[in-house]
Amino acid sequence: MKRNGKIRLIKDGKRLDGRKFDELRRIEMKVGVLKRATGSAYVEWGKNKVLAGVYGPRELHPKYLRDPTKALLRCIYNLAPFSVEERKRPGPDRRSIEISKVTTEALNSVVLVERYPNTAIDVFIEILQADAGTRCAGINAAALALADAGIPMRDLVTACAVGKVDGEIVLDLMKEEDNYGECDMPVAITPRKKEVVLLQMDGKLTRDEFKRAYELAIDGAMRICEIQKNALLSSINVDVKGV
Amino acid sequence: MLRIKNNEFVIPGQLIGSRIICDTNCFYENGKVYSAIQGIARVIGNRVIIIPSSGTYVPKEGDIVIGVVKNIMSRNWVIDINSPYTCILKGEEVARDPLNEDIRKYFVVGDIISGKISRVDEVNNSTISGPRKLENGIVIEVNPKRVPRVVGKKRSMLNLIKEKTKSRILVGQNGRIWINDGNIELTIMAIKRIEKEAQTKGLTDRIAKMLEENYNKN
Amino acid sequence: MDIEAYLRRDYIKNLVNQGKRLDGRKFDEFRKIEIENNYVGEKACGSSLINLGNTMVLVGISLDVGEPYPDSPESGVMTTSAELRPLASPYFEAGPPGEEAIEVARVVDRGIRESGAINLEKLFIEENKVWIVFIDIHILDHDGNLIDASGIAAISALLNTKIPKYEDGSVIYGEYSGSLPVTEVPIPCTFAKINDKMLIDPTLDEEYAMDSRLTITTTDTINAMQKGGVGSLSESEVYNAVDMAFEKAKDVRKLL
Repeated sequence: MKRNGKIRLIKDGKRLDGRKFDELRRIEMKVGVLKRATGSAYVEWGKNKVLAGVYGPRELHPKYLRDPTKALLRCIYNLAPFSVEERKRPGPDRRSIEISKVTTEALNSVVLVERYPNTAIDVFIEILQADAGTRCAGINAAALALADAGIPMRDLVTACAVGKVDGEIVLDLMKEEDNYGECDMPVAITPRKKEVVLLQMDGKLTRDEFKRAYELAIDGAMRICEIQKNALLSSINVDVKGV
Repeated sequence: MLRIKNNEFVIPGQLIGSRIICDTNCFYENGKVYSAIQGIARVIGNRVIIIPSSGTYVPKEGDIVIGVVKNIMSRNWVIDINSPYTCILKGEEVARDPLNEDIRKYFVVGDIISGKISRVDEVNNSTISGPRKLENGIVIEVNPKRVPRVVGKKRSMLNLIKEKTKSRILVGQNGRIWINDGNIELTIMAIKRIEKEAQTKGLTDRIAKMLEENYNKN
Repeated sequence: MDIEAYLRRDYIKNLVNQGKRLDGRKFDEFRKIEIENNYVGEKACGSSLINLGNTMVLVGISLDVGEPYPDSPESGVMTTSAELRPLASPYFEAGPPGEEAIEVARVVDRGIRESGAINLEKLFIEENKVWIVFIDIHILDHDGNLIDASGIAAISALLNTKIPKYEDGSVIYGEYSGSLPVTEVPIPCTFAKINDKMLIDPTLDEEYAMDSRLTITTTDTINAMQKGGVGSLSESEVYNAVDMAFEKAKDVRKLL
């Protein structure tokens, strides 16, 4: 993440894309978008386009990975080569592997894996178009896809990023803010108890700034949770005119 | 104390109430009951059942299922029942002398069979009994959680379809449905539509209408 | 074999003997094709999302500047790759492309390359610098006929691809200097042989029931062919398929 004081990210109290400091980008979510996957969800967040698919619980191979006390929940985050301006070589890079790990851990906090011993629950997050905040969009899509698949969970998981830009704490960083800002902090919570299941940060924050950023992230996440809930609710209102 | 209404759509983590009896689609935390899945909550006295929108099939004793023989091992058949757990059809269920016979004369890999789940162990592995080979016809798959809707209360929906299409229909609790004879296309169309619109109101009337219209076409 | 292959194989074969298909199509009919171009319009130089029945494929085109091949120093370069993303099917695993993905990529590539669809001569920039066109096929939902879905989406994406600006030795992404020069529209057409009948655009169930498969990509000439599957084809089956491929390609071309 570059720090470049020459680029002004905030002008006249507004961000480069005109948003207020605590304003989210446009978000749309939909579930049940894939035919073969057991559960699926699609999230458009700003310019991000993210697809998540879930298979499971299903038989786990190889056998030595089976855990007789619970299901093995695995989540893989993948950027499509054309999802970014400068083509990304196909295959997992270190960044994708790290994101896959922290996402798996976040989801593992809520999925009731003890109910499905010896099985696998696989979550696949595909970033089709990337524009800052993909890991948060991915987690939100993954949580919806798990719910769509009927996999029992203690709660949903909702993610949102905050950052510091030109000295100001702002919600939901866009690309330039992510590249040239002073801090980037993605957060994922379980909305019921507001407990943190994912927390990453890079940059420079005082303790006071961190407190403000954290509160803003929780506030943003709770708003996003409503969008998730509506997406689930919409899935039962099916068009009934003909097959 | 109940925190939701009858027929309310619930999501994972939603509070159902306290001092309520709830089914396996819930979990308990600090004396309160929460929904673990998304679905429709049905309230019966101080009991709550959640009708899931989707989910995997976990075998239960007594379930009729439709399986595919996927392997033969140690004088037993390993059956795929559309579940993450192993299901075995024991050689002795079918053969009189499984140790000395080639049991392949009864069932081979690829055979489609119906049967009843006879036993389920602590990790959901099961055995199947009363196997019957299903020949001809077609097996379609639906979301296992929609099977009750396909059958209907007291088999009303299933009988409605059978009456109009004259098809023989065997519904497996594991989401597999075998259809033979009659107007197979119309049967498939009706079942697929029920699966899609399972959680809407007035479905029975719409299906009856659709069957009537297509029945008259032929 | 995938277990679900057994469930409908015999029924589909019986239907074919009666001249019918499970979804009611005629033997020479494609499924409904829906194409959304510039799906990744904010980042990729070109892109196209296709729904061929229930098969969904996203193809993205990326451009970068690189070195030409030594035997064609004034020609641009094109390269095609495909990934069967694990969310597309319970049988796809995460990992590097296996033989199925590689076959899809190479057959799609052949149709585009051999027809001269991309005018590679026009992609020369200066000495030792040409445009490289990356065609990336991302399979998202598998219900059969991945080759045709990928090939149609690929050429549709190419037809809508813009070339980024190139200034002072760097590519300026987000700003464009013109459209990719595409002069041909190759369309693949895949047949599944079931009980000696040739069916166009097989669904996944039909692929499980088929003996062999033949893909023919055409413009006004045949540009690529690929026989797949275990089983044989007779001479007349091949000739008839070729004739039909030309005809069906024309119909599909109208949609782009």
